[in-house]
Amino acid sequence: MKRIISLILVAVMAVALLASCGETTTTTGAKYALVTKAAGNAYNEKEAEGFKAAMEAAGLTSSDYIIRHPEQATVEAQIAVINSLISQGVKSIAIAANDPNALSSVLADAKAKGIKILTLDSDVAPADRLTFCNQAGVQQVAQALIDAVLDLTGGEGDYAILSATSQATNQNAWIDAMKAIAAADSAKYGKLNLVEVAYGDDEPQKSTDQTQALLQKYPDLKVICAPTTVGVAAAAKVLQDKKSTVKLTGLGLPSEMAEYIGNDADHSCPYMFLWNPIDLGKLAAYASIALVDGKITGAVGDKFEAGNMENSPYTLTAVEGTNASEIILGAPFKFDPSNIGEWKSVY
Amino acid sequence: MAGKSGRTISAVPQKSILKRLLSWEGALVLIFIAVLVMGRIMSPYFTLENVLREMPKYLAEILIVFPMGFVLIMGEIDISVGSIVCLSATVACFAGNAGLPFPLVMLICLLTGLACGLLNGFILTRWPELPPMIVTLGTQIIFRGIAEVTLGSGGSLSYVNSKDLGILSKTLGPFPVAFFAVLIAAAIFIVVLSTSTFGRKLYAIGSNRTAAKYAGIKVSKIRLIVYGLAGLMAGMCALFILTTTFGANTTTGQNYEMDVIAMCVFGGIATTGGKGNLFGALIAGFSIVCLRIALGLINTNPQLILIIIGLLLIISVLISGISQMRGKKLKKKKA
Amino acid sequence: MKAFLRKITGNHEVTLGIILVVLFIVVDILSGFKFHGLENIGDIFKNNALTLIMSLGMLCVLITGGIDISITGTLAFAGMTIGLLQKYNIIHNTLLLFVIAVAIGGACGLINGLIIAKGKVSPIICTLGAMYIYRGLAYVISNNQWASGEDVTSFSKFGNSAGPYIILALAFVIYFVVMKWTPFGRKVYAIGSNREAARISGINVDRVEIAVYTLMGVLAGLAGALSVSIYGSAQPNMQTGKEMDVIAACVIGGVAMSGGRGTVVGTLLGGIFYAVVYKALPLVGLEAIWQNLIKGVIILGVVIINVLTQRAMNRQALARREI
Repeated sequence: MKRIISLILVAVMAVALLASCGETTTTTGAKYALVTKAAGNAYNEKEAEGFKAAMEAAGLTSSDYIIRHPEQATVEAQIAVINSLISQGVKSIAIAANDPNALSSVLADAKAKGIKILTLDSDVAPADRLTFCNQAGVQQVAQALIDAVLDLTGGEGDYAILSATSQATNQNAWIDAMKAIAAADSAKYGKLNLVEVAYGDDEPQKSTDQTQALLQKYPDLKVICAPTTVGVAAAAKVLQDKKSTVKLTGLGLPSEMAEYIGNDADHSCPYMFLWNPIDLGKLAAYASIALVDGKITGAVGDKFEAGNMENSPYTLTAVEGTNASEIILGAPFKFDPSNIGEWKSVY
Repeated sequence: MAGKSGRTISAVPQKSILKRLLSWEGALVLIFIAVLVMGRIMSPYFTLENVLREMPKYLAEILIVFPMGFVLIMGEIDISVGSIVCLSATVACFAGNAGLPFPLVMLICLLTGLACGLLNGFILTRWPELPPMIVTLGTQIIFRGIAEVTLGSGGSLSYVNSKDLGILSKTLGPFPVAFFAVLIAAAIFIVVLSTSTFGRKLYAIGSNRTAAKYAGIKVSKIRLIVYGLAGLMAGMCALFILTTTFGANTTTGQNYEMDVIAMCVFGGIATTGGKGNLFGALIAGFSIVCLRIALGLINTNPQLILIIIGLLLIISVLISGISQMRGKKLKKKKA
Repeated sequence: MKAFLRKITGNHEVTLGIILVVLFIVVDILSGFKFHGLENIGDIFKNNALTLIMSLGMLCVLITGGIDISITGTLAFAGMTIGLLQKYNIIHNTLLLFVIAVAIGGACGLINGLIIAKGKVSPIICTLGAMYIYRGLAYVISNNQWASGEDVTSFSKFGNSAGPYIILALAFVIYFVVMKWTPFGRKVYAIGSNREAARISGINVDRVEIAVYTLMGVLAGLAGALSVSIYGSAQPNMQTGKEMDVIAACVIGGVAMSGGRGTVVGTLLGGIFYAVVYKALPLVGLEAIWQNLIKGVIILGVVIINVLTQRAMNRQALARREI
């Protein structure tokens, strides 16, 4: 038995050693934190890269900021991470929320400790945060997507949407806005017919199944619009492999989609959109610094410098219909055969 | 079968204090202390205050460890508990938002859990040939599926009168209410398992089901009760989860079953049944939680934490397995 | 007529085959006769090639009375490794990449087998721990990167060719032969039916068990390579939770989780059943949020039907003996 216990202690020590030589950052005095949606996701990693780059450009070192990827894309994993950050006494937390409501309790705790909360990519209720770094206005994204559909269908015909999960806040907002735009201007969009919104749950296999089902169900389908990075890549592969005449557009990472972008019959996606996730991370970093330094309070009309970013200085604007503030990164960027080669190595 | 028999029907073996210390539970206590010391050395933020503040979410999970221990001791498994948490939380949100008084909401939440658990139990006792893992896999998908359908698109519902939940998120001194809930549940479950005939019957069923049946134990009834308990405690877990999330969504409770089973196994409960006790599971649960919190405080890559838990699990079972083999060999030599 | 009825209720594979045909026809009608096309059937097999292939390994594991829930972790680890090898332009040879993935899978499986057979750790615990470890390794090596699109261009050509079908067919033929006509197959069944008896009759139980888990790992590694090839991408979270699909496919196919019973044909039918359900749900016009619920009900329903046919079978056997 003694041998067993000594073995266990050795194991524990080995674990401790493993933990300490793992990917850990020293924590004392860290001020700024970024919490992404989940680990193992290239898009989130690009946000983290941008956050890091901006922090370093602002003269801060790796001990001044913490980047945390929760272990799963769930709100509970994020709550655990935020609690841990509160314990570490950070000054600001920038978070890409996995749920618009469920973080309310833990963010209130953080606020009570004087931590500045801001969101990026996916927002929470305005009362729970100071401001929101919006990758692109909902209207702008929706307008770009519906216009792309209009263009690729040639002005009329069937199109389908392949989304992430049926609960994804961003995707739902974009899809709703697309429908609203189409309904508002029936002269222009009246001949477009949205046959179905399918959900691929951001899994390659399920997205593949759903894309194939769309092709089978709607023989007259002209365009699939996939406003999600995993879905768009899966759909692109299906269409390209099947040499389908159906065209694809949506939101995708250039590095994932380079293979499929082209204007000829051999490529399934003539063009698509995205913002720069690296810039979004940078924006969140500069906004964090400005909030902690007291240069902005999160009120509409505040202005702050964002290093060498393109549109610096940024102004906080009002979220449509409310007095809550947001910072819009810019219009969504269009990727087509002429520029994909240049961007695919960037993000 | 051979490895299982011969132990544990006499539920509380008489042990000297020294022997107890040298048992697996003793080792677990040492591990727990080691985790605390390690945490303190690794991070200056690993203080009682911080750990207790981070704990409620995990405490809610530990509540399910006890009934899961029962299930495992019977030699069975329930992988639907995470989905039961999700469904109970969803139903509670709807009930609360419909304006029902909070005590009633709590009752409804618990009853939802109980109903789900009893459904598992009913299916498993009605068709006893069915493997528990597959049945609870089916109900896992179904319970979460019902929650998905009721939550609708958007998939998330907040609890409007979140002030009601205040009672459950209060702290008494530095300790959150959930902490006392865990202690009370632990006391009840441990006493039932180690002193009551019900507990002894569980061990009997886990050691040798056929023999237990011939000895006049109503196996079906006991299985129904145990699965019902698992559902009930999942419902209680849902209540405490509500206090941290102020609402339900489709990922509530995801993967809890694996976490909980890992805690039980690390605590010395064999999944083959008939072996282990809840005290070990309790300490193991707290050890894993504190380890998670400590590694979180030094911002360890979350997947590294999973690897460490995986290693701990295998090493701990491997060591106890090897010691058993050695014990058997010694016995053979003596004979 | 009576004899015919007895025959269909008395044979698990036939019952499942009939259920499958009925299901297929119903789905075909519901989907407006779009389900029976050759292309669609090809898609069904290709999209579920991973589950089908891994179900063969799982069949053996379950027959010995064990279980392996680490397989998708192994799959992700192997798949991510070869994805990254391509992303960083180290290896682009399709065959070599397959060999590497299979080797990684085999190594993971071997470790499981050793711990289970030699360390006497119960299979579910060992593979639960291994699931955390292998999945964690996939994340750690990925370093939050994906391999996709252009990285795996040449490799994904294989996935778009007849390759996956050939591998699938070969795997099933080999397993069918091995499980039915070789000593190894008989040993696996012997261990599952009665471990002690098998040991006494001179079977090296440990060795067979290690082989079974290693083969499971090999197939999981193969599935990892196929996954990268078919979906043209490698992500550390790929196929999370799908181990349960594989186990469910086996059980639907009549494999007993207590060990000793199960056939390759049954597993194939179970896998196809699962695949048809997966493929059919989006096609028949169900709202997306209902799909999981329906899937759960179908799994549970089929498993219960299985039990009922098994009971009928036992009753008939008993009745015949009485005569």
